[in-house]
Amino acid sequence: MNELLGLLNDGNSRTIEQLAAELHTSPEDISRQLEYLENIGMIRKVSTTEKKSCGGKCGGCSGAECRGCMPKNASANMGKVWEVVR
Amino acid sequence: MSTATIALLGQPNSGKSTLFNALTGLRQHVGNWPGKTVEKKEGTFTYGGTTYSVADLPGSYSMSANSDEEVITRDFIASGKADVVCILADSSQLERSLFMLADYAGLNAPCFLVLNMEDVAKEQGKKIDAKAIEKKLGIPVMMFSATDTKAYDKFYSTLERAIKEKPQINTSSLEKGYEKLNGYCEIKSQLDSNTPSGYTPMWLTAKVLENDKVVSAKLKNTLPDNKVKLIENLSNGNDGAIALGECKFAWIDEILNGAVSKTKTKAKLGKLDRIYTHRIWGKPSVVLTVVLGLLASFIPALPIMGIGMGINALNAPIREAMTSAGSPAFLTGIVCDVVIASLYFIINMLGFVFGVTLVFGLLEEVGVMARISYVFDNTMGKLGLQGKSVMPFLVSFGCTMGGAAGARVIDNWGQKVLTIALAWAVPCGAAWSIVPMLSTVFFGAGAPLIITAILIVMILHMWITAKIFSRGLVKEEDRYGMIMELPPYHKPKWGALFRYVLGRTKDTFFRVTKVVLIVCGIFWLLSFSSGSIEDSALYKFGVAIEPVTKIFGLTWPLFLAFIASSIGKEGAIGVISALFTGGSIFAATTGAAEKAANINEILLANVTRPEALAFIFAITFNMPCLVALAATYQEIHSVKWTAKIAAYYTLTALVLAFAAYRIGLVIF
Ligand SMILES: Nc1nc2c(ncn2[C@@H]2O[C@H](COP(=O)(O)OP(=O)(O)OP(=O)(O)O)[C@@H](O)[C@H]2O)c(=O)[nH]1
Ligand SMILES: [Mg+2]
Repeated sequence: MNELLGLLNDGNSRTIEQLAAELHTSPEDISRQLEYLENIGMIRKVSTTEKKSCGGKCGGCSGAECRGCMPKNASANMGKVWEVVR
Repeated sequence: MSTATIALLGQPNSGKSTLFNALTGLRQHVGNWPGKTVEKKEGTFTYGGTTYSVADLPGSYSMSANSDEEVITRDFIASGKADVVCILADSSQLERSLFMLADYAGLNAPCFLVLNMEDVAKEQGKKIDAKAIEKKLGIPVMMFSATDTKAYDKFYSTLERAIKEKPQINTSSLEKGYEKLNGYCEIKSQLDSNTPSGYTPMWLTAKVLENDKVVSAKLKNTLPDNKVKLIENLSNGNDGAIALGECKFAWIDEILNGAVSKTKTKAKLGKLDRIYTHRIWGKPSVVLTVVLGLLASFIPALPIMGIGMGINALNAPIREAMTSAGSPAFLTGIVCDVVIASLYFIINMLGFVFGVTLVFGLLEEVGVMARISYVFDNTMGKLGLQGKSVMPFLVSFGCTMGGAAGARVIDNWGQKVLTIALAWAVPCGAAWSIVPMLSTVFFGAGAPLIITAILIVMILHMWITAKIFSRGLVKEEDRYGMIMELPPYHKPKWGALFRYVLGRTKDTFFRVTKVVLIVCGIFWLLSFSSGSIEDSALYKFGVAIEPVTKIFGLTWPLFLAFIASSIGKEGAIGVISALFTGGSIFAATTGAAEKAANINEILLANVTRPEALAFIFAITFNMPCLVALAATYQEIHSVKWTAKIAAYYTLTALVLAFAAYRIGLVIF
């Protein structure tokens, strides 16, 4: 897992598949490592638009609710993103 | 009659409650664990003359002390209340779900392993050899489907076997891995005598190395001070946890090696992802996707523009009818020049609101947006930003205010300011409806080229702006890349998508109508005069400033529309609607309005194409709207930087207009 975190040091983001390729392992192996790192608090999920990033105050720009920003449940299709906790 | 207690242990969603409910039926008691808000579920059932009481333990990732659930779970198990622990794992993803078992290994309570979700694993084409796993682990192991009522006989017999044999996990090869770790043997030798009951020295040592605060505290109470000191020196934070985690994963792989085989192959859409995630082709393919998406939005937009044309055609008959009915010029003006002309623009705009929202909603639904965000993410670093900034940018395509507020997730203030500053360069939903509409009016079939040019300018704009702004804001600090899990491609849910698109179009209609009518009305009033138009104050003012605005390729009405667009993009439409099609000014100057009820023709007669080009770029890259300005201030709490950004955008919009005008003069 140190190799995984080390790779991210170069500032480039990677998909799980890319990490698997670079570390010569399977995406399933990467996924479980991510789950572990998240549980011990070394990485954390980045909220995408999930929590209504405009705070529902989008009314001025795009309709009464935040609906205007993105389709409902859009973040469900945005995948998951993790960042390293420093 | 004998009694026995079973505890159900497993990660969230491993099927504990399903099993629990099937076993106990209605003989359940639900409460809370003492002092915690975590639900406590207990129940009983009788089988083969034995009454079993079952505890449905809260789902937790492991036996560490990272959450209330985990602490409750392991305290219960260590307390020895359970005669046997039933560990559940998800057979469709054993390499991760066996982690609970690996973390359990070394606790004293007897246990057996249930590989649940057998049906799901089968569907994935996985063949699992439970007997082989059982041999390696030294505890009963069974395949199972908690949802399948016919599978329970096997469960009962395995349970009875476990009660009888009191099996414990064979940990020898796991411990071999541990022994290679720094400090393991030293700490363990300190613990070998008088350990708290329920735990083995091996398990406790692993937790100490993992920096488990609860275990360390427990040991402090039972061990002499000198041993505590020694242990504290040997345990080493996160690195320890990582090393231990790796040992456990390696052990799981060893267990699964040769016991799991997979027949089915992967999904085929991987190819598309290989293009999107390609180092060289990723960016062009994403830009191409966005361009194609914007162009595709013309398809649903054009029929709606047809409706706009229809409204426009009503203008002449209504004007005639009102005039012949003796309606005063002022009233006729309001109806025809303000209301009908505004509606014409609004309906045309709505066509694009509908089209753009539909196309991008669709991209989102099928999962392409996630790929776009991935590709942009890697560009963020080069702009001096965190990958997280990509979300505010994407949101800004819909609404800059949403983008500014979305920047809240960025903890570094400088990066937040830079992110918002760049988000302003992303044309918002209103721009994406007004600009294609104006482009179609002025450039007809050339409109797609204008859209493409705007996207290219946007990218350059963001790049240059990042260079200019990053100086005072972001330091050359180390940036960690992020990890992304791209979602699988979905089939769109058309019903929900259309409901969203129609809802948004409706909302936009009401909001835009309000703004356009008010702005149009005000400017129409300012320019309305019963006498000669040259007498109106607005005209005099306009002519006075025109020498300056002409530098940027903007005639004075266009310049006023540009100013109005800082309040809100649709404000520009109100001004245009009033000043050009209201007829009062240009009827006086060109005499065209009298005959030409067709608004398109009036616009084309009064605005040259280079001027139109300049205007389109000016309003696209102008300050997005007043609300976005307020949102920006709210997020960055700096009047200075908010003002800086606003001034910068007003200025660059004019510079872009200047450039577009010159280029337009060459082309047209
Ligand atoms: N296909 C399939 N689904 C199952 C099986 N067992 C459980 N499920 C489903 O998996 C989901 C989660 O099951 P639960 O029993 O709630 O899981 P749990 O372990 O109690 O989860 P937590 O209480 O969150 O820890 C439910 O939707 C179940 O219907 C199985 O053998 N096959
Ligand atoms: Mg449950």
